[in-house]
Amino acid sequence: MRYAEPGSVEEGLALLSTTEDARCLAGGASLVAMMNAGRVAPGMLVSLHHIPELSTITEAADGLWLGAMCTHRTVAAEARLRGAMEVVRSAASQLAHPAIRNMATVGGSLCLADPQTELPVALVASSARAEVAGSAGRRTLPVEALLVDSFRTSLARGELLTRVFIPRGVDGAAGHHLRFSRVSSDYPTVSISLVLAMDGDRCRHARVVVGSCGPVPLHVDAADQRLVGTRLEAADVAEAGRLLAQAAAPLDDVRGSAEYRRMLIPRLLGRALSQARERTHV
Amino acid sequence: MSDKVSVSLHINGKDHALTVAPERTLLDVLREDLRATGTRRGCDEGSCGACTVLVDGVPVLSCLSLPARLAGRAITTIEGVEAGGELHPVQRALVQHGAVQCGFCMSGIVLAAKALLEHTPSPTEDEVRQALGSNVCRCSGYVRVVQAIVSLGGRP
Repeated sequence: MRYAEPGSVEEGLALLSTTEDARCLAGGASLVAMMNAGRVAPGMLVSLHHIPELSTITEAADGLWLGAMCTHRTVAAEARLRGAMEVVRSAASQLAHPAIRNMATVGGSLCLADPQTELPVALVASSARAEVAGSAGRRTLPVEALLVDSFRTSLARGELLTRVFIPRGVDGAAGHHLRFSRVSSDYPTVSISLVLAMDGDRCRHARVVVGSCGPVPLHVDAADQRLVGTRLEAADVAEAGRLLAQAAAPLDDVRGSAEYRRMLIPRLLGRALSQARERTHV
Repeated sequence: MSDKVSVSLHINGKDHALTVAPERTLLDVLREDLRATGTRRGCDEGSCGACTVLVDGVPVLSCLSLPARLAGRAITTIEGVEAGGELHPVQRALVQHGAVQCGFCMSGIVLAAKALLEHTPSPTEDEVRQALGSNVCRCSGYVRVVQAIVSLGGRP
């Protein structure tokens, strides 16, 4: 196995495009675990630790850019992620456990596209966009378009995720993440990321995304629309939850059966909405 | 770019010049090359916390860390925790509370607790439980561990 430490994105792209089985090394939390287990054996590791722009956080008028190499610990401590954007901070502060949050990165988490983990769920809820660098320059695309299947992204060979943009979002909105797991450091059985805005006691805006219930984060427009304009009463939540559960494609696994996960969705949705609603009053 | 990486690791205040294959983990190098076996090999996948070390004061998992990217960083292992033949206060508190049990998870727990106390000198029980969320004890005796660490902050 060869090892390289490029000092710029361009140098990194050159390495990735000329080497058949190169893998980017970000935090290592998943890639090194897979190497330890003998599941992958890249011909080359391209460490991204010496590319300063990948660890940069940049504030813009309409949101915040998070460098791909920002750790979950850094994101969890980023006070500028407030309002609608707080959904990303909320997820980063809860996922996995402290030692993993100290190592694992935004870009690593997104590019791994593990359907059980939660940062991608929160990024979809916040309508985040991903910036991708390739030989033809840079492009941005919605995070939903990056995540195409379980452990699969739309990145082409030789492309590199450089940063993600979290839009400031709807005025007065609150972002929130709720996870349900047997112990706090385990993968969630079901997780929900949402952005909510209220006009008095009526819902003005809702964007709900469910994790661990399909190959990619689950977002159903009709479920959002079922909540908008309502007082978020039990029947509204139950109906939105039913639409989500109907669209879900959860697995049966050690953390819960598919049926159990479907039952959890409306219950967690009610809890997540009520917690987010409290925040809209702060 | 090469199939071996030369790196200088700063471990417990001393520099170690090493040449390692890039896929070898810090855990491998500590235990096999440096014979520092206080850092335990548990799951090798980042789930159990037995291999926890501090890098620049922050708990990380040595089973998932590649030495090549740790040049110049301050690495602390369990061997670097006691000073002058005296146990660290965290170690003493764990012994006094009868919390050490079989001891396999203890290196990781001591380092996680040390890092917590350095930035939160009087942690609440909940803060201790959160900080130890990375560490699994198969004897499942967390109560005395948490009590021992909380006692160092002088809180009940």
